[in-house]
Amino acid sequence: MNKIRLLETEHRSAYYNMALDQALMSTVGDSIPILRIYGWKPCAVSIGYFQSLKEEVDIKKCKKLGIDVVRRITGGGAVLHEHELTYSFITKGYPANIMESYELICEPVVMCLRNLGFNAQFSPLNDIDVDNKKVSGNAQTRRNNILLQHGTILLDVDVDKMFSVLNVPSEKMKDKIIQDVKARVMGLKKTFDEVASELQESFSRKFGAEIFRDDIKTDEEIEAKIFQKYKYSSDDWNYKR
Amino acid sequence: MQIQKERYSLVRTVCNIYKTKKLIKVFLKYEDDKEGNKIISSVRITGDFFLYPEESLENLEVQLKGTRLGKDNLKKKIDKCLNNSEAFGFDSESLSDAILGCLHNQITK
Repeated sequence: MNKIRLLETEHRSAYYNMALDQALMSTVGDSIPILRIYGWKPCAVSIGYFQSLKEEVDIKKCKKLGIDVVRRITGGGAVLHEHELTYSFITKGYPANIMESYELICEPVVMCLRNLGFNAQFSPLNDIDVDNKKVSGNAQTRRNNILLQHGTILLDVDVDKMFSVLNVPSEKMKDKIIQDVKARVMGLKKTFDEVASELQESFSRKFGAEIFRDDIKTDEEIEAKIFQKYKYSSDDWNYKR
Repeated sequence: MQIQKERYSLVRTVCNIYKTKKLIKVFLKYEDDKEGNKIISSVRITGDFFLYPEESLENLEVQLKGTRLGKDNLKKKIDKCLNNSEAFGFDSESLSDAILGCLHNQITK
C-alpha cells in the first residue's frame, strides 16, 4: 500500500463511533486503507457481538452514571472505554489467515508502544502486553472482502469503575476477580496526542505508506448517521442476544 | 432449574457458564422424548469468543434444535455446522462440554 488515509474523529458517542466504523467499511471499496483514531465521550461500555448486554452490563448503573452502552460488530469481551485511544483500521487487502491478519495489524501498535519506551509484545490472538500486563485489546471482522480491525490502547484504567458497571459470573469471586484484573492490566500514563502521533508514524513505517490527513466525506457521514440512528442506538441491535 | 409445561411435554430451562480459552455461556431448553433422551428445544450461546463468519453462531443455534444431548452427538453436529467457520476461544469439544454442563446446572471450569 502506498498511502493510508488518516481520520482523526475526536471524542464522540459510542453509537456514532461504531456507526462510523461500519460506514467506512461500506465506503472504503477499492480506495486506500483507512486509519481512524478516536475517543469516547461520554465514556461507554461496548460488548462483543456474541455477548448478551443484560448478562454482561449493569445497565441501570450505566444509565445512572451517564455511561453509554453499545454492541460492537466484532467479537470479544466487554470493554469500558474511558481513558484510552481507540483506532480502527479498514482495508481491502489483508491476509486470508485470521491469526496472521491480527498479528499484522497489531504490529504497528506494538511498534508505537516500543517507540514510546514500553516493552510491548503481541499476545495472540488479539492482545498487546507490556511487561505481561495487557494494554491493548483488538477485535476484527470481515464483511464483503473488507476487513475492520479496531482496538484500544489504555492510557489509564480504573478497574473499580470497570467492575462497578460490568457484571461478573460470581459475586462471591468479585473481589478476587478485581484484584486479578488490576494485576494484569495497565495504562500507559501517556497523553492521547502523544500516542496518536506515534501510532500514525508506526502505521506509516510498518506498511511503507504515506499518511494523508483527511476529513469524513459527506456520504460517509450520512451513512454513519443512518447506522447510528437505526442500528447502534436501537434496542433491537444492542439487546440482540 | 426452571420447569415449564409446554404442550404435552416438560421443557426444562437451564444455564451454564464454561471457562475455556474464553468464557462461554449457554442457555438451554430441553425436553425428554418418549425414549427418555434429552432433546434440545432451543439453545442460546453467548461469550467473549470470536467466530468467523459471525453469522455461523445463529446458524449453529438453529441447527442444534432437535439434537439429542450426548457428547459425541453434539460434537459431530457442531463440527458439521462450523465446518466452514473459524472459532477462536472454543472448539467443538469445549462447546459440547459447555452445553452438557447445563444438565448439571452449575458453573463448570
